[in-house]
Amino acid sequence: MTLKKLFAFCLLLLCQIICAQSDSINKLKEVVVSDVNLKKYSSSQSVQVLNDSVITKNEALLTDLLNFNSTIYFKEYGRGMLSTVSFRGTTVSQTAVIWNGININSQMNGSTDFNTISSSDYNSISVKAGGGSVIYGSGAVGGTVHLNNELGFYKRFENNLKLDYGSFNTIGINFKTNISNEKWSAQIGFSKNSSTNDYKYLNLYTWKGEQRWNQNGQYDIITVNANVGYKFDSKNSLKLYTQTSNTDRNTSLISETETKTRYVNGFNRNLLEYDGDFEKFTTNLKGAYIFENYQYYGNISSNNFTYGKTESLITKADLGYQISKSTQVNAIFDYNKTKGYGSGVGDHVREISSAALLVKQELSDDWKNEFGIRKEFTDNYESPVLFSLGSSYQFNKLYDLKLNLSRNFRIPTFNDLYWETGGNPDLKPESSYQAEIGNVFTFKNISLTQTFYYMKIKDLLQWIPGSNGIWSPQNTDKVNSYGAETLLNWKKQYGKNYFTVNATYAYTASKNEETKKQLFYVPLNKVTGSVSYSRNRISAYYQFLFNGFVYTRADNDPTEIINDYNVSNIGIDYDFKFLHTFKLGFQVLNVLNKEYESLEYRPMPGRNFNMYLTLKF
Amino acid sequence: MKFSKLFLIALSVSLFVSCSNDEEDNTPKGVYDNGFFILNEGTTQGTVSFSSNDLTSFTKDVYSTVNGSDILGRYAQNIFFNGDNAYIISGGANNITVVNRYTFKLITKIETGLLNPRYGVVKDGKAYVTNANTYSYENAATGDTDDYVAVINLTTNIVESKIDLNATANRVVLKDGKLYITDAYNDKLLVVDIATKKLDAPVQIGFNGDCIEEENGVLYILKGGFGNSSELVKVKISDKTTTKITFPESLSGAGFMDIEDNKIYYTVGSSVYTMNTNATAASTTAILTSPATYVYGFAVNDGRIYVSQGNFTTDGKAYIYDLTGALQKELTTGVGTNGFYFND
Repeated sequence: MTLKKLFAFCLLLLCQIICAQSDSINKLKEVVVSDVNLKKYSSSQSVQVLNDSVITKNEALLTDLLNFNSTIYFKEYGRGMLSTVSFRGTTVSQTAVIWNGININSQMNGSTDFNTISSSDYNSISVKAGGGSVIYGSGAVGGTVHLNNELGFYKRFENNLKLDYGSFNTIGINFKTNISNEKWSAQIGFSKNSSTNDYKYLNLYTWKGEQRWNQNGQYDIITVNANVGYKFDSKNSLKLYTQTSNTDRNTSLISETETKTRYVNGFNRNLLEYDGDFEKFTTNLKGAYIFENYQYYGNISSNNFTYGKTESLITKADLGYQISKSTQVNAIFDYNKTKGYGSGVGDHVREISSAALLVKQELSDDWKNEFGIRKEFTDNYESPVLFSLGSSYQFNKLYDLKLNLSRNFRIPTFNDLYWETGGNPDLKPESSYQAEIGNVFTFKNISLTQTFYYMKIKDLLQWIPGSNGIWSPQNTDKVNSYGAETLLNWKKQYGKNYFTVNATYAYTASKNEETKKQLFYVPLNKVTGSVSYSRNRISAYYQFLFNGFVYTRADNDPTEIINDYNVSNIGIDYDFKFLHTFKLGFQVLNVLNKEYESLEYRPMPGRNFNMYLTLKF
Repeated sequence: MKFSKLFLIALSVSLFVSCSNDEEDNTPKGVYDNGFFILNEGTTQGTVSFSSNDLTSFTKDVYSTVNGSDILGRYAQNIFFNGDNAYIISGGANNITVVNRYTFKLITKIETGLLNPRYGVVKDGKAYVTNANTYSYENAATGDTDDYVAVINLTTNIVESKIDLNATANRVVLKDGKLYITDAYNDKLLVVDIATKKLDAPVQIGFNGDCIEEENGVLYILKGGFGNSSELVKVKISDKTTTKITFPESLSGAGFMDIEDNKIYYTVGSSVYTMNTNATAASTTAILTSPATYVYGFAVNDGRIYVSQGNFTTDGKAYIYDLTGALQKELTTGVGTNGFYFND
């Protein structure tokens, strides 16, 4: 984006600033979330909600937000490049990403690239640790990440604009507008995050003695969101969520002489939802169409590419009934048809139906029980019966105990089933049993959540060479994973001074059952922390990430590891109180200029800078 | 690119014709004299391991040990020698790293003119390196016809010219001023005259031809791989006539071949077999069955059989046997161990 265009864009917005002045009276605020079950059926598990104020303090892409604020471990192929996760010691496709209640992990490879998602496109991002396949389906093994858009049904006209400019020509434009009254609600958003990303590799030189730098790492991610809701009356409402995104990235080089490649991927998601609320009986109907595609250019100087596309149609009916004062049941039926085609996978259709039953029982204000069971029906694979069983008991004001037991799964992807040659149509889904105990302590302004879990995963899919030399996926390994997660929040006000402290710590032992070795690329320890302070118009913050070392080989060769690293960021902003909010901020990222990488030969940038302007009007 | 591995059927074996060194000079010219290199193609970086001939001394990563943080690049494919130098071809990095073969000290890198380089041979101060260039799965128009031989001046270490092959190309041997090139996806044996830099008439050998060896004026080409039936094709260089030995069904999917002292050694699955060069039928009696479940490199040299296990998420293995099939040594190598190169 050239500077000229940027100016034009700002001018365009100025007109809106003028007409937006009058709105400031807030009446009764009714906010509707699309993913109702996240709230309703997660009282026995730990859900961490990252709202707007946390989102804006972090770098634009979802990887940074979650890396610095959650227990999830990330592997990045360089800054802004492919970014995959491990949650509770599970594999990249065992964390499901849920967009407004719909599972959006790629049908082709089963996972989500967290650097293709701009955090500010959502009103809140929640991280739910532990199994969730009964509600969210495939991949909800280690945990789920929820991207939520909330529609408010009250009178307002609000605009948010955040502009970022930082090192390596990193530019962010994020705009969101909310227009609503008691009947209508619309939220329209646009985000564009790009960077030439040509940072220097600290203390690394070529054989000729030249400074090495991140070549061919440029990226550009554009997303447009439009969400509309309409309330017919107090009982019936209709919502439409749409999102279109395109990520155009080159892939950074390991050696300067490699052929430069480029990877373009995009998606289009549309979700129409009907909600009916008839006292004891509730109904939620969803229909979604999701399109995803990629194009891989093996050489950026030619137009040749390989590609893949999938189109999914998802229909879902969730019928709820309040049996008694304390007991509620939901019956969920869904049907899902996915057509996948492209280079290497041919042209295939997969149909999956499922039925699930959820029961929630609130014996008292303090004691809540949850139960869920689900079974999928498909010709493609043998699907296990999934279940989830949970209980939460509030002993007193200080202490809440949570127990949860579940069975979860991850289905084979189009690549696994149909790749030519090697795809194996006879695969089973990966499946897991998981048990966890959560202790939540609340004392004044402090909340401490500690969760211990144990997980057994079997039939892990792995591509291995067969006796005939052809690589093919097989259900091979079993993994036992156990660990502890600690989340800490503290908030305190001294006069006009506000302090917030957040910290997370994860201990993860994830071992191959046969070899007893820690899975490679799963750190035993990860710590995050943040401290923020605000007074009047000023706010300042510090955030910190420690990633323990990881093995890079399955045999845990102690010489083949990625060293532990800690990275710190600081930021400060000042609100000029021009308009509703007019914040100017400045951040120093990797302030200690640490050399670090999360994957071998993929160095991350040293100290770098970002400034931002946040306007609300 | 995980799946590129599936396309780049990277089967590898030492092919270089080891020059007979002066017998009188036994003083080592460096730490890495009198031993053999084991090439590991790697997933992120290629590495080179070294073992002394007496199998008592072993270094897992020679290049890093000597040259510090410098890297070879991805998918180390082949090593060839010339004089005191060793040339390490990294296909994914489009480069050749030139080191002293006895000290492994970096001398220079050849970084231009190469596109997915595969195998190299040397003649009169020039190296001839096959380049796979693009593949048809990504470039339907010219992927199967854009392979070439890069001619490298080994004094200047510059690619000074290219010989277009108008076909796919992979392994190469040199005999009497001509290059003989095979590729599994090419049903012809390519013949290149290096004097004129032109293609001679190719020889029809059928698809799946891979390992190629020259012995006494005859080219031996093993066909197999990927569940195909196996064949040994012999091409008489003088008149280009071909004969073939069809292997029995039990030997389908043959992998690698090497020739030593008029004996042909070949692998099927984890087993190694041998037959005389003048045999008319393949031997079905294995001389050894190695623990390697995925044989990814193979060589026979000076009374020993070398077999490697290709591992890609963990370190690989090299198994060294005598010619009767008795295991002499097991070594833990690097990722994607694909070849053995003898430095005497």
